[in-house]
Amino acid sequence: MSIFTPTNQIRLTNVAVVRMKRAGKRFEIACYKNKVVGWRSGVEKDLDEVLQTHSVFVNVSKGQVAKKEDLISAFGTDDQTEICKQILTKGEVQVSDKERHTQLEQMFRDIATIVADKCVNPETKRPYTVILIERAMKDIHYSVKTNKSTKQQALEVIKQLKEKMKIERAHMRLRFILPVNEGKKLKEKLKPLIKVIESEDYGQQLEIVCLIDPGCFREIDELIKKETKGKGSLEVLNLKDVEEGDEKFE
Amino acid sequence: MVLNSLDKMIQLQKNTANIRNICVLAHVDHGKTTLADCLISSNGIISSRLAGKLRYMDSREDEQIRGITMKSSAISLHYATGNEEYLINLIDSPGHVDFSSEVSTAVRICDGCIIVVDAVEGVCPQTQAVLRQAWLENIRPVLVINKIDRLIVELKFTPQEAYSHLKNILEQINALTGTLFTSKVLEERAERETESQVNPNSEQGEQVYDWSTGLEDTDDSHLYFSPEQGNVVFTSAIDGWGFGIEPFARIYSQKIGIKKEVLMKTLWGDYYINMKAKKIMKGDQAKGKKPLFVQLILENIWSLYDAVLKKDKDKIDKIVTSLGLKIGAREARHSDPKVQINAICNQWLPISHAVLAMVCQKLPSPLDITAERVERLMCTGSQTFDSLPPETQALKAAFMKCGSEDTAPVIIFVSKMFAVDAKALPQNKPRPLTQEEIAQRRERARQRHAEKLAAAQGQAPLEPTQDGSALETCPKGEEPRGDEQQVESMTPKPVLQEENNQESFIAFARVFSGVARRGKKIFVLGPKYSPLEFLRRVPLGFSAPPDGLPQVPHMAYCALENYLLMGRELEYLEEVPPGNVLGIGGLQDFVLKSATLCSLPSCPPFIPLNFEATPIVRVAVEPKHPSEMPQLVKGMKLLNQADPCVQILIQETGEHVLVTAGEVHLQRCLDDLKERFAKIHISVSEPIIPFRETITKPPKVDMVNEEIGKQQKVAVIHQMKEDQSKIPEGIQVDSDGLITITTPNKLATLSVRAMPLPEEVTQILEENSDLIRSMEQLTSSLNEGENTHMIHQKTQEKIWEFKGKLEQHLTGRRWRNIVDQIWSFGPRKCGPNILVNKSEDFQNSVWTGPADKASKEASRYRDLGNSIVSGFQLATLSGPMCEEPLMGVCFVLEKWDLSKFEEQGASDLAKEGQEENETCSGGNENQKLQDGCSEAFEKRTSQKGESPLTDCYGPFSGQLIATMKEACRYALQVKPQRLMAAMYTCDIMATGDVLGRVYAVLSKREGRVLQEEMKEGTDMFIIKAVLPVAESFGFADEIRKRTSGLASPQLVFSHWEIIPSDPFWVPTTEEEYLHFGEKADSENQARKYMNAVRKRKGLYVEEKIVEHAEKQRTLSKNK
Repeated sequence: MSIFTPTNQIRLTNVAVVRMKRAGKRFEIACYKNKVVGWRSGVEKDLDEVLQTHSVFVNVSKGQVAKKEDLISAFGTDDQTEICKQILTKGEVQVSDKERHTQLEQMFRDIATIVADKCVNPETKRPYTVILIERAMKDIHYSVKTNKSTKQQALEVIKQLKEKMKIERAHMRLRFILPVNEGKKLKEKLKPLIKVIESEDYGQQLEIVCLIDPGCFREIDELIKKETKGKGSLEVLNLKDVEEGDEKFE
Repeated sequence: MVLNSLDKMIQLQKNTANIRNICVLAHVDHGKTTLADCLISSNGIISSRLAGKLRYMDSREDEQIRGITMKSSAISLHYATGNEEYLINLIDSPGHVDFSSEVSTAVRICDGCIIVVDAVEGVCPQTQAVLRQAWLENIRPVLVINKIDRLIVELKFTPQEAYSHLKNILEQINALTGTLFTSKVLEERAERETESQVNPNSEQGEQVYDWSTGLEDTDDSHLYFSPEQGNVVFTSAIDGWGFGIEPFARIYSQKIGIKKEVLMKTLWGDYYINMKAKKIMKGDQAKGKKPLFVQLILENIWSLYDAVLKKDKDKIDKIVTSLGLKIGAREARHSDPKVQINAICNQWLPISHAVLAMVCQKLPSPLDITAERVERLMCTGSQTFDSLPPETQALKAAFMKCGSEDTAPVIIFVSKMFAVDAKALPQNKPRPLTQEEIAQRRERARQRHAEKLAAAQGQAPLEPTQDGSALETCPKGEEPRGDEQQVESMTPKPVLQEENNQESFIAFARVFSGVARRGKKIFVLGPKYSPLEFLRRVPLGFSAPPDGLPQVPHMAYCALENYLLMGRELEYLEEVPPGNVLGIGGLQDFVLKSATLCSLPSCPPFIPLNFEATPIVRVAVEPKHPSEMPQLVKGMKLLNQADPCVQILIQETGEHVLVTAGEVHLQRCLDDLKERFAKIHISVSEPIIPFRETITKPPKVDMVNEEIGKQQKVAVIHQMKEDQSKIPEGIQVDSDGLITITTPNKLATLSVRAMPLPEEVTQILEENSDLIRSMEQLTSSLNEGENTHMIHQKTQEKIWEFKGKLEQHLTGRRWRNIVDQIWSFGPRKCGPNILVNKSEDFQNSVWTGPADKASKEASRYRDLGNSIVSGFQLATLSGPMCEEPLMGVCFVLEKWDLSKFEEQGASDLAKEGQEENETCSGGNENQKLQDGCSEAFEKRTSQKGESPLTDCYGPFSGQLIATMKEACRYALQVKPQRLMAAMYTCDIMATGDVLGRVYAVLSKREGRVLQEEMKEGTDMFIIKAVLPVAESFGFADEIRKRTSGLASPQLVFSHWEIIPSDPFWVPTTEEEYLHFGEKADSENQARKYMNAVRKRKGLYVEEKIVEHAEKQRTLSKNK
């Protein structure tokens, strides 16, 4: 009976197993594929659409049902449905193909949206569309990592895309107000971090309006704070320097 | 076998009185291009055997493949009758509705037009459209009823039936002309009415007289088409024959012995001939007699067709000899009857002669341009002619005179630009040819020509040729061909040496006055140029333009390069006398689509072209490879120049949007883009549709129109659970939607409430966004302590007016004093959302400007305030539903408790310990949501609040931004949220019989009809409707298809409208369950839109991956 050969092996189809260890015992329930994540996120509200059967197993593939006393000792109840719900919400899930696929796709889109949001075409100062970024990401064969945040990955993607196409992070427009005596010295230090200086005004104080790469912000911020000992100030005029409004070709 | 040399053409061009500028207009597939082919073949440019098959004017590949014309193109033809020689500038135009812009460009530069109507199909939608266009441009039409052969061969009509059918068509067309006429008369009367209302006491007597000149008194008989007037011709372009009444009248007057004049009047109409009495009597039908037209004309043609189709050799021979024709042996033996008919009819009733004779007789020469038309051309928009400056008015005389003297001002109108391969230009750069080169070419051309000649000798395509033996029975025999002449025409076509596949633009233009000389410098006046402006800037008596030309908008100055347009070919010209159609090169940098060229700057630009179809089909275009973006942009710019109707724009989202007149037009534009202008692979998609998010007042009734609160709510457990899960712990929510939230380090507490703004207020905010922006700039510059920017008096007034308007609309208890407490607008500091600060110590509203009491304490408070405003800006930029901007929401900051923060500022030491305790507690959801934008803010303000307040949650100001943003989001979420959709207003012109189908399409696409009215004097209805932008993709095409082109919509963006359905709605009451079922999976428009946007952005969508778990297919695992 227990000889496990290809001929008498019964494959479970359409089954996803959710496991949980409790009181030194392993409990499993048999669920439908692609449904467990939906239950957890609250999209699926019908338990029968998630569970194959309401009984709790020790081993689903062997069909061994958990003993009543084990259940009581582990969960304090023998209500199988209640236990199933507990296992469903807290157990380790087997993520099914479609679920994984949608998750990856969603993250991929999310990354593309973030990239499109942060970047511009340096020639036109206009953003790229998400679809275009998605296509570019596919061109560079970017693979999504599920364990990293989308924002982190987006920054990585920008770096990689730069080699392929004309793309740049949208510049930030800043205004520094620096005391004159320290200003000149500081300006030299700031220079490599600034992309474009739009205006300079030497009055009682040195006032500079410039565009920078958002990545350098922290550095600049710290530099100014350190060098002027809190006397200089810095103001963000524009987070993203992009063209606004529709443009008609004429 | 080019019968007419370039020299001849040049010579003809000088005789303005004998120039006819005409265009061929018709519904699609009524035979315009075939007719043009026949006319071209009469000039020997193409073989007459190929006429109708070659489609010479369709030079584009896709035109040939699809079999429809897609652009208007011109050719100059020569026609001689008697001893008069005419130059006919023929323009072939497309018939498809998508290219009606091309028709407009053609009509503008013509004086007359040939309206072609299919004898079987009769009047079609485009026929109406082109008639209207010709009418609006004030050009005179003549009618060609084409495809008569189909009546014989396909429909097998008897001559009598055919006659009544033709009569019917003629009546339809005349009815259309009549409607145009009446609507014009009514319009004029309405104008007069309004005028008389304006000054009611001006000359009563005359006014009364004016009133009576209504429809009844206005003479319209000259407008109508009628064979006896000679402005109708019956043809079969494919078989190469056509006739008017006149030649028959001449023949029969000899044969029967009735006066030609009498016959002219009676050949068409209810007349019959009494053979015995040799008299023409009236009333054929009553007496059961055949009308003259049937008896004398149609029956002859019918019998000819009958004989040929039945291959009755003897009869054919009899007819041929009786007509005195000579048929080549090859044609006579040919098995295809079509060839025989073609051969016989071509000689008997040559189509080109019939049509061109009518054109020369009935259509005006450029000299006959009416004063009315000139005035219309010169007056843009609502301007009247009298209001133009006197210098400009003086130009009218030049127009009318159309003089070719050197003193006459040169006026040229460019109606469109078209791209040609630089290779096709006769001379890329004009350079003189050496004698040897010319001789060489001549030799080569002679050889080539001899070959061609030999090939052509066998056939007998006989046309009325240049010496002009224009007999009614056919001119026969081959004309001696001037060999020398033809060869010459070949010479000015040097082969381009360098391979240059750049596109070059040629302007499609007409000289209205003066002589266009090569290299002459001329002013290029754009459509928006105003002579008034120029005259104001330039002193009077200004003549030769100096180098330091004053900068006047929409004006440039450049040299001409003239070409003769010969269908696919271009010929080089030194000068073009007035009244001619020509191509001009070298203008691509100056002219975008259309322009007026004039030697005097006082010339007004001509009125813009009157387009029947405005571009409405929008698509977003992108390169397949993202790195090819620059090529795409360049290509789109070229396309924009080459097509009169296309619109191209870059949207704020970065999309490149192409707007075309229809699907066929779109296809052509894309092909052009791919193959000519950009030469890259492109992909086309639906453009992104913007939405707005807002909130509303809680509804009073539920989805089944029951009052809410009356019946018990069915307890839906999981729904309750869901509601709770939306709001995480640590946030207090009052029953009336007040959200109280604390920063992660527990130092500050904010209380925020969201309220919907009344619609009018949102509208005011939208309208005044520019004003708000300038207010914002003012405050920020004042903030810097620079008082250099003094507030402009006018702006100040405007601001007060704006404030007053807001106060006027924000009345009631809830809105009391709120206008004075407005802190900021959002998003981007100028949007249609308001942040209101109701806390007691608030003084910093948008109205007062920055506080002058800039004490240290206040400035510190201000910095923190800035963070809160920033949080508000971020919240309004992307709403909770699908990250789209908010609209019409008012956030009220009821309380802000920063006491702890201040305490802490005092005791730094204490802080350290305090923080340790706090780290473990507190929601961390903020961290996650504090995305890209806030990151920057947080850093920025961290520096402002001088003391380093950085703890494990990041700088304090950053926390404040994130907290404020969260507060706004939750405040929104506790209110009933709604999506707002962008709406188009849609004007549809439709005839009464397709009204029902228009409504069907509209309602299918969630459109709403606002009004419907009948246009006075016509049978057209004008329907005004609103339609969501989201549903407009393919709308124009669908409506055209469903109404067979009888309704044409025009879409213009109008406003934002709240979608009434709740995107999160689920049934809650007993009745709703009964009505919608538990899942409520019936269509929810708002949810559909919301999910579409969320999916596009990669946000989480509440959708089941698999609907029915059990039914999943698992077959792929075939182990």
